[in-house]
Amino acid sequence: MSDPVRPKLAGVVTTYFKYSHAQHIIDRFLDGYGWNGTHHHPPMDLVSLYVDQVGANDFSRERLKRHPEVKSCSTIADALTLGGSKLVVDGVVLVGEHGNYPRNEKGQTKYPRYEFFEQITKVFRESGKSVPVFNDKHLSWNWEWARKMYDTSREMGFAFMAGSSLPVTWRTPSVEMPLGSRISEALCVCYGGVDSYDFHGLETIQCMVERRRGGETGVRAIQAYRGDKFWKALQEGVWPRPLMEAALTRSHTLTPAREGFNHIMPADDDMRRLVKDPVAYRYEHADGLRSTMLLMHGLVKDFNFAAYVDGGREPWSTQMYLPMPDGRTTLANFFSPLVNNIEKMYLTGKPTYPVERTLLTTGLTAAGVESLYRGQTRIETPHLAITYQAPKESTFWRT
Amino acid sequence: MLTRRAFLETTALAAASAAPPQSKPKRIAIIGTIYRLQSHAQHMGDRFLVGYPYGGVWRHPNVKVVSLYVDQKPEGDLSGARAREFGFEVYPTVAEALRCGGRELAVDAVLIIAEHGNYPRNEKGQILYPRYEFFQQTTQVFEKDGRSVPVYNDKHLSYSFEKAKAMVDTSRRLKFPMLAGSSIPVTWRLPSIELPLGCEIEDALMVGEGGSDPMDFHALEGLQCMVERRRGGETGVKAVQMLVGDAVWKAGEEGRYSKELLIAALSRSDTPLGLTEVDGRTQDLVGSGELPRLAKNPAAYFIEYRDGLKATMLMLNGALKDFNFAAKVKGLPLQSTQFLLTPDPNVTYSACLMHKAEQMFETGVAPYPVERTLLVSGMLESCLTSKLQSGARLETPHLQVVYKAPRESQFART
Repeated sequence: MSDPVRPKLAGVVTTYFKYSHAQHIIDRFLDGYGWNGTHHHPPMDLVSLYVDQVGANDFSRERLKRHPEVKSCSTIADALTLGGSKLVVDGVVLVGEHGNYPRNEKGQTKYPRYEFFEQITKVFRESGKSVPVFNDKHLSWNWEWARKMYDTSREMGFAFMAGSSLPVTWRTPSVEMPLGSRISEALCVCYGGVDSYDFHGLETIQCMVERRRGGETGVRAIQAYRGDKFWKALQEGVWPRPLMEAALTRSHTLTPAREGFNHIMPADDDMRRLVKDPVAYRYEHADGLRSTMLLMHGLVKDFNFAAYVDGGREPWSTQMYLPMPDGRTTLANFFSPLVNNIEKMYLTGKPTYPVERTLLTTGLTAAGVESLYRGQTRIETPHLAITYQAPKESTFWRT
Repeated sequence: MLTRRAFLETTALAAASAAPPQSKPKRIAIIGTIYRLQSHAQHMGDRFLVGYPYGGVWRHPNVKVVSLYVDQKPEGDLSGARAREFGFEVYPTVAEALRCGGRELAVDAVLIIAEHGNYPRNEKGQILYPRYEFFQQTTQVFEKDGRSVPVYNDKHLSYSFEKAKAMVDTSRRLKFPMLAGSSIPVTWRLPSIELPLGCEIEDALMVGEGGSDPMDFHALEGLQCMVERRRGGETGVKAVQMLVGDAVWKAGEEGRYSKELLIAALSRSDTPLGLTEVDGRTQDLVGSGELPRLAKNPAAYFIEYRDGLKATMLMLNGALKDFNFAAKVKGLPLQSTQFLLTPDPNVTYSACLMHKAEQMFETGVAPYPVERTLLVSGMLESCLTSKLQSGARLETPHLQVVYKAPRESQFART
């Protein structure tokens, strides 16, 4: 039996293959990870694991064999009750990323995060008790469901964290947006596709701009630009070019624009050649701040942020650095600060940063997808009037 | 749509408008072994042709490359193409490059980048890059023409301490600023930490990987740029020893290096090999006992400093692929960090390094002492001699290299 002061956790995941999110996250609870100059083992025990899809490339069976203390469960309820009738775990780790799930007509993958969450909270209700839940990435592809997840967590009064690794990973340079800054424009240049890495880009922006004077006030409208409309918008200055250029100077992975060169600033025609499917989400916060997320797949392979801060004319910029196992590293260690933050929630019952951040970025992701679906039109977003204050303490990786 | 030229002009204008009025550009000569894509001369030299990122802007240094010498032109040589595009000459000798084909020294600074290219190895396994020879040819011009200018020398000064020492002595005699070394001391760190100047270091360990003598030099400079900040400054090295194979693990068991520091350094790695490559899992390589299974031919470089500090550098090929440091410092929790070698092809760490060279060209003052690289050149040579002598401990009275670390941190932080 484990020490009674060690929280017991249930893992509820879609699939568990090499470099899937579940593998990155659950492995860190099982095998520990490098943290603060030692190999840290979280002071808690993963006691059960539900895997929705066990494919040919599965590693959950290997993990269960190597960690016989973890119960393999065929239902989510079982993982939470360990086969009994009542909730017996002290926390739930929900990882609904990767796996074979259908896509809808808007291109959203229908990962069953909401469905899993519903099954989890059903056990909470039946047990008359709730425990902290972490939900990896956005809450749901469907805004109404995401909102319901948030509302349920509030009604039932359990600690709820969610989101991306981007807000908590290393930064090069290692800088934080000063709390209470005035920000007029913010921008992220990143890579990947719609309904996937766009969410990470939005979280990159949000973890910075939420620190502005007055805190987050919500978003009132969004417009997406893709393909030719993207290039036209760039030319017309729909978003500030100096911010885009400053963000590009923070990249460590700028695709060389010319043969024979290893690192050169691309001109517009270079970018047009390198980026086949550019996407921008430009949105207006209720207090007037404007933010822009640029997916420039083919040009960079990292997440770079720039903003105009406190009336300065020079952009303020940094990179949210991901040690990415795409040939650069073998470990996706940006999951370490994510796991470390959620460990704190399981230990204290308090999230280290507000889930409203991810509620908003979930809504922004869905609204961006919707704008693309409706022919890149401007969409009013009264439902995104989400207000919250950033945590005083920085939570990104600095130690 | 902006053309490239218009784009470069607008960014250059923006930079110019933000900066104080610029003086005449510094004219520089690049002296290289080869100029091929991803060679040091190319990715460092190009920073002065196309600019580079620094501090959140694409910086166009106030520098004009006016001449180039390349010792070898292998397949893929870019020297001629660069000369045509950027309007300079490739000269057949170092002296002609420095004089731009004229009668006297015609440049304001020299960038010597003698890394890569086809050169023989000596019995210690060192590649005999002609850095000393290039430097000699450079300073002969300085002496004949009665004028000296700043010199940047990439990587170690020479495979031979004697030659390295002669280079530094010449720079002192002719009174020109000189900068040298690896990118490791100036690149990003994860976490972004510096040891406090004047701290008391009780023990230090560096882990790295790669061949000798390119990569062990980088790892030793990483170690040196940290420990030189200790109380009393650098006083030189008393003795070195290099062990390879099982003797490395045995030395660990005997306490020659700290297991705690090894765990700390490895905890900073993003590249454990073995089972992580198989299924992505995290690993405690020390606790699991995997380390000796993965690093089949380890090497340990033991450095005994004259002031009593002992430091160790472990090359653990097969176990990891990055460079990580750990130290016990009196009054502080265990210190550890990764020196981030950013990915190919951008290798942005070389922009960090060329910014230091640019700073020296502009101010005439080297931002950190060349003695660091002199000492590391000597440490490395003596370690490789020890290896050749079956791991004998070698006294190194010649390595009484004394210097003070720069007050200002020099690694990438902005």
